Parts: sequence; C-alpha cells; structure tokens
Amino acid sequence: MAHIECSGIVKSYGAHPVIDGLNLMIPDHEFVVFLGPSGCGKSTMLRMIAGLEEVTAGRISIGGADVTNRHPGQRGVAMVFQSYALYPHMTVADNITFGLRRAGVPGPEIDRRLGEVARMLGLEPMLNRKPKAMSGGQQQRVAMARAMIKTPKVFLFDEPLSNLDAKLREKLRTEIRKMHNSLKTTTIFVTHDQLEAMTIADRIVLMRAGAIEQQGTPDEIFDRPATRFVADFIGSPSMNFRLGRIERGAAVAGSVRIPLPPGRFAVAEGQEVELGLRPTRMERVSPGAEGAITGRVSLIENMGAEGQIIAEVDGADMSFVTRDFRGLSIGDPVSFALSPDHLHIFDRATGRSCLA
Amino acid sequence: MTRQRFILLTLAPALTVLGLLAAVSTAGAVWFSLMNRVLGSPDYEFVGLYNYLRLLRDKRFFNALEISLIWELITVAGTLVVAVLLAVLVHETVKRALWRNLICFAFLAPVLLPRVAAAFIWRFLYSPSLGLLNWIVGEAGLGPVEFLANPSLALVSVAVVDIWQWGLFFTVILVKLLETMPRDPIEAAMLDNARTWQIHAYVTLPMLKGPLISLALVKAVESLRSFDLIFVMTGGGPGTATETLDLYAYQSGINLGGRVSYASAMSILLLIVTTVAFTLIWRASRKWSR
Ligand SMILES: Nc1ncnc2c1ncn2[C@@H]1O[C@H](COP(=O)(O)OP(=O)(O)O)[C@@H](O)[C@H]1O
Ligand SMILES: [Mg+2]
Repeated sequence: MAHIECSGIVKSYGAHPVIDGLNLMIPDHEFVVFLGPSGCGKSTMLRMIAGLEEVTAGRISIGGADVTNRHPGQRGVAMVFQSYALYPHMTVADNITFGLRRAGVPGPEIDRRLGEVARMLGLEPMLNRKPKAMSGGQQQRVAMARAMIKTPKVFLFDEPLSNLDAKLREKLRTEIRKMHNSLKTTTIFVTHDQLEAMTIADRIVLMRAGAIEQQGTPDEIFDRPATRFVADFIGSPSMNFRLGRIERGAAVAGSVRIPLPPGRFAVAEGQEVELGLRPTRMERVSPGAEGAITGRVSLIENMGAEGQIIAEVDGADMSFVTRDFRGLSIGDPVSFALSPDHLHIFDRATGRSCLA
Repeated sequence: MTRQRFILLTLAPALTVLGLLAAVSTAGAVWFSLMNRVLGSPDYEFVGLYNYLRLLRDKRFFNALEISLIWELITVAGTLVVAVLLAVLVHETVKRALWRNLICFAFLAPVLLPRVAAAFIWRFLYSPSLGLLNWIVGEAGLGPVEFLANPSLALVSVAVVDIWQWGLFFTVILVKLLETMPRDPIEAAMLDNARTWQIHAYVTLPMLKGPLISLALVKAVESLRSFDLIFVMTGGGPGTATETLDLYAYQSGINLGGRVSYASAMSILLLIVTTVAFTLIWRASRKWSR
C-alpha cells in the first residue's frame, strides 16, 4: 500500500507536449478515477506511473520511493488493460501465476494464492482453459486475478470495462469497488465514462488536454463544477447552458430570470455570464411561481421512473427531468423551475465558475 | 456460381499443369523403375521389383538416406535457431526504422543470390589456400582447415551456406512478425517483471508458434531441394560424406553407371518416404500450432 506523488510531469511526443507540468498527489488507500474526454492524456498519465512510458520531465514516487527510472516490474504496480492483455497461449492458471513464477515465489505458496484469488473472482472452474475459449467478462476477471495475486502497492486500470456490454460493465464495476473496499489498495482507474467515474470513485481527477481541470469527490465535481467544461462533461442528461447577464440581483437570460441567493456568487451587476441549469435539479411548478421558466414541450423521453422533457424556451431547447411527465404531450405549455441552490454561473470569457 | 464449382474452376488450371508435369514424369519414373534400362544400351527387360529389392541391400543408399536426414535436421533447426536469435537481437537493439530497414535489406540479399552463385562464393571463402576463412583461422594460429575436404566437416560447412541464405531471410520475416505483435501482452509481461529474454521465451515466441511451424515446414520442403548447392560445393564428397539421396540418384543414374532404372526406383522411394513423412509432420504440426 502506498501513496503516489507526481510532480511536474511533462510528456511530449516530438515537440508537442501531451501532458504539460501536471502535479498530483494520491493518498494511500484512495480510489482515484482519471476522467476526461478521449485523447486528453489519461492513459499516458497512467502508463507513466506504471513505467510503460517514460516521462519527458518530472518525478513520480510510489510509497515515498522515487520510481521515475525504475523498470515497470520493479514499481510494485499491477495493471488491468482495456484489451485484457492476457497471454493467449497460456491457461488461465498460468496467466495468473506468471508474475509470481518470475519472482521466484515457491510452488506451494503460488498454489495457495492462486486458489484464493480464483475463489474470490469465481474463476475456479476455468483454471485450465485458454483465454480464447472465454467471454470478455471472464477474460477481464482473469486479468484482474493476475493483478491481484501480486498483492501490489497500486492497482492501475485503463478503461477495463469499455469492451464489455452494459450489464456486465455494471456488475464488474461493483466487483472492482467491493474488491477495493476489502483490500484497500491504492487504485487509479481510467475512464471516459462520467457515470462510471461518479459511481466508483473516492475522488475524481478530471483532465482536459493534458492538464487537471478539477479534482474532488464525485459530489464536489457534480455540485460545484469549477469550470463550464466540467459542468458540461459531468451529469446525464447534460447541463443546459444559456448566455445571460446579471441584472438587479438576478441572473437573466431571455425569459429566464433566476434570483441569486445572496453571497453565493461573486458577480458584478451587468456582468456577462453563462447560466448552467442541471436537468436533474429542475422540477415542474405552477405557472407564475417564483423563478418559473415557461416553454412548450417538444419531446418527451420516457426513462421508466422518470422522464426527460425537452421544452422550447426562447427558441432553444432546454431539458429537465421529472417524475411527473405522464400527463404531458408534445406542444403543451409547461412550467418548471430550478431548485435555488443549484444554479451555476460561469464567466463568459474564462469559463470559470463564479461560485464565491 | 456455387462455392464448390468456384473452387473446382479455380483449382483446375493448377491441377492440370501439375497433372501434366508431375504425374507424367512420376508415371514415367515408375515405369522405368520396373525395368533394367542402362544409358548407352537400347536393350532392356522388365524385372519387376528387382531394383527396389536391390536398394534394400545397398549400403550406399542407406548412407545417402542418413545424410539426407541429417541434412534436413541441421538446415531446418539451424535456420530457425539463427533466425529466432537474430530477429530478437535486431528487434531489441535496433529501434530506428531506417537502420532496421537497411538491416532487413542486407539480410534479404543472400537468398536472392542464385544458389549456384552462393555455392561458388562460399567455395572460395572455404578454400584452404585462398579462402578468407582460412586466413582468419591462420591468423588465430590454427592450421589450415579443410572445410570441404574433411569428411566430418563437409556436411556442416555446406549447411552453413544454406543457413546463411535462409536463416537471414527468415530473420527478416520474424522481425516483421515481431513488429506486428500486439503490445499489450508484452507490457503485461513487463509489469509481471519478466526480463527481455523471458518476455520472448514465454510470451512473444509462443504467440508466434503458428508462423514458426509454418516456416519450419517451408524450410523442410526447401531443404529437400538442395541438390545444386551440394553438387557445386562438394559433388557429394569427400567420398560419400555429403551424398544425399538426390545426389546418389544422380550419380548412379546419369553420372557413373547410367543405371537409369535403378535411379528411378530410388527417386520413387524418395518420393514415397517424403510424402509419408510430410503428411505425418503436417498432421502433427496442425495439432501443435493450436
Ligand atoms: N505513441 C504516441 N505517439 C504520439 N502521440 C501519442 C502517442 N500516444 C498517445 N499520443 C497522443 O497523446 C494524447 C493522449 O493520449 P491518451 O493518453 O491515450 O489519451 P486518453 O487515454 O485520455 O484517451 C493523444 O492526443 C494522443 O494522440
Ligand atoms: Mg486511453
């Protein structure tokens, strides 16, 4: 078990830096998710921590020891790949124990540990099979067993669930989180799926173009996004944005007028801003209520327990989520309001949140 | 067009040519092998299986069979060992694409040489008085080595030429195969703390088992056709130290006795033995490469 420290990490391919001066501290036992759009440098960052990619500049330490120049096998990390990366010609048992055999662990000890992880991951009946004869989910379990058996200081996951179907993804996600709850090994998990990140993380490190845009608990990231980019990236359905300005203690955008809770925002009268309204933080209200937004229903998406209403407000779509959607039909007038504590305001020029 | 008819139609031209060339000459050889024809004499009679029975009592025939077998083993194993070692070496040490391509190009050159040319080059290199190799050996303080005239060295010396041509060629193929391997299992092995040679021994080469077996089969078939190389370099000598079956068949059928029928019987026997052997190897290799 160990904390991880990355300081001043730079990675360039040719002249163009992919990661540019990134600093990150991950405490012991934490489950951290690197989240961000594809191509933002998550895998590169993870692979540098694993030692599969050299850093152009900066230092990485694991458990207090500087590992920047250590061979991947000497860093005490185990990694699970998106492609499973199993040794195709070896049986499941050989795949799992390959690392221990390289480390010269005695046979009986290997057998004992193999039995243990195989039981934990439900792999006992297939220890003699070859990876080819297994489903994607089973192969990824083998890859997890191969990582676990080494009892590493750090687990690294690079989009391990992206090749699986939705149901299996959810199941394995739960298993990975349970595994962490019992083993408490420091874990970095890379994904581009914000829902996956929200559900599994202790802390999310949200990356954009090779830099950290914001880090924090899932709640912090969801409720207090530091920038418009974060607000837009997190949450499904995604946030509604409206260009507006601050006028007499309220945020105004067309017919939308939302009074500002005193002291919540650091904004000036007349400031050009962008409002962010989370669909899940809005609810139907009676017309004419305080802060009500009125529009015309243009689409209803039934999601089972709730429905997403897309309404036309001032000639543009605005969506919100409600349980009370069954009486509505397309073309109906509808009024809804944002719960007052959940307004987001971003500076139009910098994209930074105006939260005080 | 149905699938079956398509297969038949596309195979037909090749099968026709094969039938005309191979079947006719094979049938001719079988026909000859049942007589006692000799070059230079028009008289002959049918002798049934006499030629075959005589073969079974011919010590020189069994010597040739043994030499052929040893030749197959040395050249196939040598080619693959050289190719695997060199390919791994190039793969691990030469990272620049330009250098790699230059090396591959250089390694391709020997196999592009006509075999007779390669044979003459090496005969010169091996020459006890003029050869480069003997000059090096001489500098090292050892007496001149009769690479081709020493019965215990001759076969290996000829095999070196064959391995020089094909081992380097297969090296190029393996370097390219190693380049196209998926990176992930190799990286997983690095994280499992495998050394470079262990990664190759336990991960990459086993993943290339199928191609390696195919290369071995190709080389085994190719090695059967080394008549020109051996003929130019040693002519089967010294004595019968490098006399493979095809050389012996040539010697007894054309060169010395002109005993065409006897040579035909030998060729037919060679055909049967190789067909059976390769069928068995082919079956087994399909099982291994799985
Ligand atoms: N080997 C490489 N050579 C050149 N550019 C690369 C290489 N690997 C990654 N990149 C670039 O680095 C950026 C980050 O890649 P990556 O870390 O894989 O992103 P992510 O995992 O977040 O999708 C991408 O723009 C990608 O094009
Ligand atoms: Mg990635």
